[in-house]
Amino acid sequence: MRVTTNQNPQAQAESDTDVQIKSRRKRRRKDELIAWTLLAPGLIAFAIFVILPGLGALALSFMDWRLFDNPSFVGLKHIVRLFKDQNMWKSLGVTVWFLILGVIPTTVIGFLLAVIASSPLRGAGGLRVLYFTPMIASSAITAVLWSNLYKPKFGIFAQILSAFGAQAPNWMAAPGITRPALAIVLIWSALPVVIILYIAGIQKVPTDVYAAAALDGANKWQQLWSITWPMVFPTTSVIAVLMFITFLGSPLEYALLMTDGGPLGETQTLGLYAFKMAFERRDMGYASALALWQLALIGIAFLVGRSSAKLLRSIR
Amino acid sequence: MIRTSKPYMVFRYTLIAVCGLIMAFPLFYMVSRSFMTPAEVEAMPPRLLPGGLVWENYVEAAKFVTPHVIANSLFVAISIVVMQLALALPAAFALSKVPFRWTGIVMGFLLLPMFIPSSFTLIPTFIVAFKLGMLNTFAGLIIPIGSTISVGILLFRQFFASLPDGLVEAARIDGAGWFRVFWSVTLPLAAPIITTFSVVTFITAWNLYLWPQVIATDPNLAVINVALAPIAGGSTFRYVSPAIGLAGATIGVLPSLLIFIVGQKWLVRGMAAGTGLE
Repeated sequence: MRVTTNQNPQAQAESDTDVQIKSRRKRRRKDELIAWTLLAPGLIAFAIFVILPGLGALALSFMDWRLFDNPSFVGLKHIVRLFKDQNMWKSLGVTVWFLILGVIPTTVIGFLLAVIASSPLRGAGGLRVLYFTPMIASSAITAVLWSNLYKPKFGIFAQILSAFGAQAPNWMAAPGITRPALAIVLIWSALPVVIILYIAGIQKVPTDVYAAAALDGANKWQQLWSITWPMVFPTTSVIAVLMFITFLGSPLEYALLMTDGGPLGETQTLGLYAFKMAFERRDMGYASALALWQLALIGIAFLVGRSSAKLLRSIR
Repeated sequence: MIRTSKPYMVFRYTLIAVCGLIMAFPLFYMVSRSFMTPAEVEAMPPRLLPGGLVWENYVEAAKFVTPHVIANSLFVAISIVVMQLALALPAAFALSKVPFRWTGIVMGFLLLPMFIPSSFTLIPTFIVAFKLGMLNTFAGLIIPIGSTISVGILLFRQFFASLPDGLVEAARIDGAGWFRVFWSVTLPLAAPIITTFSVVTFITAWNLYLWPQVIATDPNLAVINVALAPIAGGSTFRYVSPAIGLAGATIGVLPSLLIFIVGQKWLVRGMAAGTGLE
């Protein structure tokens, strides 16, 4: 198509005999056919393992199914049960807790660490590697590692506390303590991505802006919050979305590994509640309804987030 | 930046080093303790380094992180990388270089799942895999994860789109078919981005825990993270002495660590690219 653009349109119109139009149309159809062929394996696999599950969950939300029997239609039973379920509301609260005390600290700490790590000192590059190390540890390895750090007697935190003569709690099984302790693990493992993205963002801020601010007498702290922070706002908005998704998913994995949702359900998020419903009680219908309810909440959260971002921008 | 006094420089170096050491401390602690005797683990004040290297911890750890488990993990992770490459590369080429009317719709369809957390997709995907008879099979471990190609499509499409159209057209005028253009012209040029993607995807696949835990309950199919999970406490708890557990975790982190040391640049670039920011 590009080849024809440099000809003048009149000459092109004259040369467009019926045969040529037909052959061009034929060629375009052939191109599209080839595009579909190249796309087909990917699209088929994707449809089966990514799209179909979503539709399956929708259907199963209206059925009773215990994995090894035949599904039977029960209408709105699971939906009604969902809204009456005290455990659901409690685990929704836990989910929101992890979102707020996960996303915000990770973003702010990640930003500050990225500022520290990206300072243009000689030899800083070698030290920067240290900031990325948590990303090599899988969730299971991170869990083994931190459950050792959190050991009631010989863990590092207990040893530090006992050096001051204080009695350490059982970090992974003490009400009121386990949830923040688990959040620290989640934040540690989520930080490298945030730091990497912020370093990339900070490097794009032109240095003469800082020089101008310094001439006007702005100190480093002021420069940080009135230049760097607003200048990396596009990065921050991507990170916020990314961390929102991360902290919706990761508490399930780490709680399963380290606390099993305890103590007293304090680390049981909606994801873990649905997981237990599916894989411990084999109540696939209700588990599907819980999964869909999560998805609906995510949709609502995104809409709220987007409209409030729009509102914020219009106020400015 | 304009004037830097000496104490200020010292402060900045200290700040970089201290924050970095705090971030890296848990992993240092893991490796260091994995070589300690039980007495050294319990020592007060806490010891930072072992007195000698207690390799017996690793011998004990190899009883649950067996060579069989490592082989399973390698096979699964490599298969996932290969499958994602095989599916995403041609699709991304079609979506960026072949004249195609449906690009927008297909892209939207493919990128949608990037905004859906794993905690939602786990149960429905399990149901589909279960219905297809994939419970306790390698197919179940590999295929559903190999089919999640959103990130690959995004990354490769960006790369193919950055190649000049003239390159493709020249090959076309010379009589090369689309498959030929894809295979002999664009694919060799994509080698660096393929490496980046493979490194990131291998580590992600090696680090998978939740999916293998639900789809493969057969111990013969256990991958590294499923083998390590019971040591962490939680739902499948089994007691193992601390140093031995940490030795197992150290074995599990080795492949990622090696890749991290060799390909840190690719890894960092790949992670930034996967979000569409770079």
